[in-house]
Amino acid sequence: MEFPHIFWGVFGWMIFWAVTGSIATRYFYLRRDLDTSNAPFVGAMLGASTGPIGLVPLCLNTPELTTRLMVMPALASVGVLMIAFGFADPENFCVANGSFVASQIVNGLIIGIIYGFMALGLTLIFSILGVVSFAHGEFYMIGGMITYFLTKVWLPGINPILAISLACLAAFAIGAAFERMFLTPMYEGKVDRPVEYGILVTFGLAFTIQYFVQATAGANPLKASRYFDFPRIRLPSSADPWLIKTSRGNMELFETISISNPRFTAAVMCIIVFGALMFFLHRTWTGKALRAVSQDREAAAIAGINPDRMNMLAFALGGMIAALAGAMLVQAFSWLPQVGAIPAMRSFVILVLGGLGSIPGAFVGGVIVGLFEAAGTGCLPDPQKAASYIPAYGMIILTLTLLLRPTGLFGRRFATGAHGKF
Amino acid sequence: MTRSRIPQAAGLFLVLFFAIFPFVYSANDYPYIMHTLIACFYYAILASSWSMLSGYAGQFSFGHMGFTGVGAYTAALFSHYFYLSPVPTGFCTEFLIGDQYLVIVDAIGVTSSTLTQDCLRKALAVWDGSVQITPMPVWLGIALGTIMGGVFGLLIGLLVLPLRAAYLALFTLGFSEILRATISAEIAITRGQAGIELPYLFDSGITLFGRHFDKTDKLPPYFVMLFLLLTCLAIMFWLTKSKFGLFVRALREDQDAAAALGVNTTRYKILVFVITSMMAAAAGAVMAHYIRIITPNNLMILQMSLVVAMAVIGGVENVIAAAIGAILINFALELLRNSFEIGPFTLDMTIWRLVVFGVLLMVTLRFFRNGLIAPLIDHFTRGHVAAETVAQRKVAADQAGGAS
Repeated sequence: MEFPHIFWGVFGWMIFWAVTGSIATRYFYLRRDLDTSNAPFVGAMLGASTGPIGLVPLCLNTPELTTRLMVMPALASVGVLMIAFGFADPENFCVANGSFVASQIVNGLIIGIIYGFMALGLTLIFSILGVVSFAHGEFYMIGGMITYFLTKVWLPGINPILAISLACLAAFAIGAAFERMFLTPMYEGKVDRPVEYGILVTFGLAFTIQYFVQATAGANPLKASRYFDFPRIRLPSSADPWLIKTSRGNMELFETISISNPRFTAAVMCIIVFGALMFFLHRTWTGKALRAVSQDREAAAIAGINPDRMNMLAFALGGMIAALAGAMLVQAFSWLPQVGAIPAMRSFVILVLGGLGSIPGAFVGGVIVGLFEAAGTGCLPDPQKAASYIPAYGMIILTLTLLLRPTGLFGRRFATGAHGKF
Repeated sequence: MTRSRIPQAAGLFLVLFFAIFPFVYSANDYPYIMHTLIACFYYAILASSWSMLSGYAGQFSFGHMGFTGVGAYTAALFSHYFYLSPVPTGFCTEFLIGDQYLVIVDAIGVTSSTLTQDCLRKALAVWDGSVQITPMPVWLGIALGTIMGGVFGLLIGLLVLPLRAAYLALFTLGFSEILRATISAEIAITRGQAGIELPYLFDSGITLFGRHFDKTDKLPPYFVMLFLLLTCLAIMFWLTKSKFGLFVRALREDQDAAAALGVNTTRYKILVFVITSMMAAAAGAVMAHYIRIITPNNLMILQMSLVVAMAVIGGVENVIAAAIGAILINFALELLRNSFEIGPFTLDMTIWRLVVFGVLLMVTLRFFRNGLIAPLIDHFTRGHVAAETVAQRKVAADQAGGAS
């Protein structure tokens, strides 16, 4: 049988049992008066992977839903989907060509780390202010814009690290100023619905920044030159470099996986700054204060922390993280005033997937989204269609997460404050 | 006339003004002004229905443009793929309905018209003008689009039942983006970014009161859009004044408390989604027939942000204020499409107007929480209430002061 029938047959079967499972499990758990918060997720995943064979015992026994019971069916259903795909289309690059798969995975991982890093900024803002910043993509965009203008136009020959730091500082300043001017009424109870107010006002900021940059910098695509060159490495020997081979702009591992310089440096930079940020959040007084505010505002205030100042710091820091991601990626992609929309959407996806204000969740979620997108773009039989669907992949994850497990991967179930409600 | 009648009189005047305007105005830029006004009405429908959904019912949705897309694409696909023919074509899928054949044209996507032709064009080439095929009526497409909008609204309303605030916004944004990606990817059916062409709103022209209007005339679509706007506003105004409005407001203020007091929150949440998305879909379908092309870019977040900003600047908790705000702002944005010279500087307002717009949005949110138009209406209609409250408080304070 040809590709579409067998694959869509399996896919339809999985969807059917997933929907049945999520509804039935919830019903049975509710009837026994048990905790239903994870029931739809487990039911859907077990239904998708095993069909009625797994669902019937689950509904009859209603066991306690442990982490293991949640992870195994999810992995199994991904596995079933992959096997169905492999049988349906054995000629596909994703099935037949091992090196293609390896390079897709590595590239997905690298881009996923960058996404995760960017989402980290949004998570920080969300966990402390309870606001989804719709201006996150615009901070990313101005980070790249300022770095481009510093290195190419205003001060050519400037050290790229310095240029990136200046761009981050500028984003920090904009974030802090905006928070002071527009977000303060939220905390004093002057606004009826603070979450909606936060979304709208950051939306206005996004609009303003985007058109301001378009008016001043124009709408032509810009691209910075490479910040660093790879050193020339040939291992194990220069005659037969099968292990690693670098040129100035590219690195090749095992003669199959090729990684471009800008993405690699961006990912390395993200990991370094992530480490620094972890140190800041866990080892310094200010960082601990930030985390304290994200857990309980009132208790933190009693302990002598000024929550308003932490709000400002969190918003500015979140914007700075996005700007740093932008500053690193302006050497990889062409830059336009509208460039922020796509990474912003991805950050929303990762924010929801990773869980409410969870920092490890942001990173794991980023990697998952990166891999999912690499699989989606690499494996769909029609490349043009696959490329057009790119914006949808992340959004499918987002809607599924919200439907099945609104707390995300590592979400706290009983968080306080405005962001604790769904 | 009492003070509280002023907004009603102003509203009546505004409606009369828009009804008479196209007959009175006759300057050179007549088609341009008419086109701008039609766009104004279109945005007014979207902004007011969005404010009903988000401001009045508190369901903060970013998927409103998705619903207009559903309406517009349903109408477009319907007029693009369905025809009536008295003779079977022999190439297409076709069904006999009455004495006519319903022809379903096969989807060929974007191809060079000289190489591949769809089955209907093949049949037409064989017949060589001997058979007259009829396209489907436009109003049926618009009605279908509206119903499809309602169906999608029902679906989304059901799915978002457990979600609130930021999660609802992200989910609806996800819906809109998935829809846009699907439309741009399924080129075979929707022609992707190339867009689908639609017939004119009145393809053979229309004769009204003894005067014939050509199909390119702006006057019939102007009145269709105005009529749609007034109908939507009337429905929403009636809903807000009825028990429905009361329940929906209770839903916004505190969902749990409303449920505890016996409001069927599920029903009203879904109903408000269905009603507003049907309005958005109807507006999208009519606008698509007027513009005569629909592309997936209509669903972009930029369009959504325009609608949101218009509703917020007008007044997000008052549907009529939102509509007036949308008309004013869309008109102002059109007027600003030129450049000013201040001394040595030339300010190209075509770009800067949107910056001004963004700043206006932020400032309105920060300092005028009810928008710019809604307080004006309230000032007249409820001004006496405020005065009475102040007077009562003063009396109460005086009494308290005298007693102590």
